[in-house]
Amino acid sequence: MMVSRSQDSSGWVELNFGPQHPSTHGVLRLKAKLDGEIIREVEPIIGYLHRNAEKICELDYYCDALIYFDRMDYVSAMNMEVGVPGGSGEAPWCATPPERAQWIRVIMAELNRIASHLVWAGTFGLDLGMLTPPFFYCFIEREKILNIFAEACGSRQETNYMSIGGGVYQDFNDKIIYMIEEFLSSFPKRLEEIYNIFVKNDIFISRTKGVGVLKREVALDYGVTGPMLRASGVEYDVRKAEPYLVYDKLNFDIPVSFKGDTLARFLVRFEEMRQSVKILKQAIKKIPDGPYFNPKAKKSLMTRLRGGEGEVYARTESPKGEFGVYLVGDGGVKPYRVHVRSPPMFKNLSVLPVLAKDQMIADLIAISGSIDLVFGEVDR
Amino acid sequence: MMSLVQILEETKGKDGRRIIKVAKEHLLELMRELKSQGFNLSLITGVDRKDRLEVVYHLYSLEKNTYVVVKTETMDERVPSVTSLWSSANWDEREQYDMLGIVFEGGHPNLKRIFLPESWVGYPLRKNYDLSKVQYINMDEEGNDYATFDPNDGW
Repeated sequence: MMVSRSQDSSGWVELNFGPQHPSTHGVLRLKAKLDGEIIREVEPIIGYLHRNAEKICELDYYCDALIYFDRMDYVSAMNMEVGVPGGSGEAPWCATPPERAQWIRVIMAELNRIASHLVWAGTFGLDLGMLTPPFFYCFIEREKILNIFAEACGSRQETNYMSIGGGVYQDFNDKIIYMIEEFLSSFPKRLEEIYNIFVKNDIFISRTKGVGVLKREVALDYGVTGPMLRASGVEYDVRKAEPYLVYDKLNFDIPVSFKGDTLARFLVRFEEMRQSVKILKQAIKKIPDGPYFNPKAKKSLMTRLRGGEGEVYARTESPKGEFGVYLVGDGGVKPYRVHVRSPPMFKNLSVLPVLAKDQMIADLIAISGSIDLVFGEVDR
Repeated sequence: MMSLVQILEETKGKDGRRIIKVAKEHLLELMRELKSQGFNLSLITGVDRKDRLEVVYHLYSLEKNTYVVVKTETMDERVPSVTSLWSSANWDEREQYDMLGIVFEGGHPNLKRIFLPESWVGYPLRKNYDLSKVQYINMDEEGNDYATFDPNDGW
């Protein structure tokens, strides 16, 4: 941190926060102007993890470009893969995944949604000074999910499990089904334990209640999506609004809160985990037999998938919000232009100056933590 | 419905979404009319078409649950800014300025690069961007980044 007296006559103190700081979840730099302990202005500066994944995608073949999506939001790689055009079967030139593969994708995406929210809850507790209990309990549960991923595709985080050609890398065997069922039987009870550690803590409630209120109109004006938008009272979820894969065959609710503060964002995320468990319990029963990979697509992958001409905008609901990929093809073997609408990025982070204005400096961490930032995706 | 605005072409995309093409002089009028119908801005994308730059706007409406794609083209890298209509355009336009060098004029409060330092040479997502020219990022005493390059290093 670096502090200096402001040059203008306001007498405000300039505080430089980050980019290397444990509670920025990566490399976020904030330039704040303080009037005593009150934040008057804050400017987020990003780009410290910028790798230009969009340019790398342009230089690579369609199927090779997929692995760079894993590395965007690296705590929910499965949701990134579902979001790739073709991943949810939206791109017209991609082979549609067979029925079984679609169910497998939904199961994996929902498991990863739980894992992503658990990482968020654990590190959010750390941000607020809850050192050991929630962090380790959250990560123990997340570890079980990562073990399921390791069993299914050999990799824990950057999974590269779903193929752009339509299908998944490997079928579910009995062991994976057993692991998921075992997780589903033990997790709901553990989730309530973790939830109680948070909400029965007076310090946690007083640090989050009424802090960083995001109004509905401001959220829509800034294009905020995901749990942040739902915590501000807008019932909007891409899984319901424009169902992809087999979400229309599943029964689940969209949690909404009307408070818009940091506590509301916390409650919405925990309710989402309960809904994900509900989805998983249905999906593991309903999953049909059949091929897990489109045989036609497998052949085309061997001989470099040739994309069609035109453009497609596929959108899915990632744990952080609406994840959209705009893909322009020129008929060649490489994409012409890829643009990623990453939710925490421009949308959810750009509202931080509004949220933090006239709040206490100590609440800045609570507010930026509640956005659920992952800088692999913000900076791409 | 868009009676006042001159639309060049209205088609349906492969994914079933409406695509409206408009000249950049009429962009703001069209955007204002779409905003009054309840559309919010979702995404701004620039596409380098080699001889021209294309700017694509994705708008969605929560009430109607529909997506509309608005496209405009520019030969001189200049496009009117829509920041006055939607605050979310602020960072989107900064990103497209950073990556493709599209200048959004008229009303953008702070049009500077968002990822790369101000002194970076070239726009990475342009098709003629030379990847062999290496640039280095350094930090000054204030903590701000600046880019340098070695003239012998591919330049």
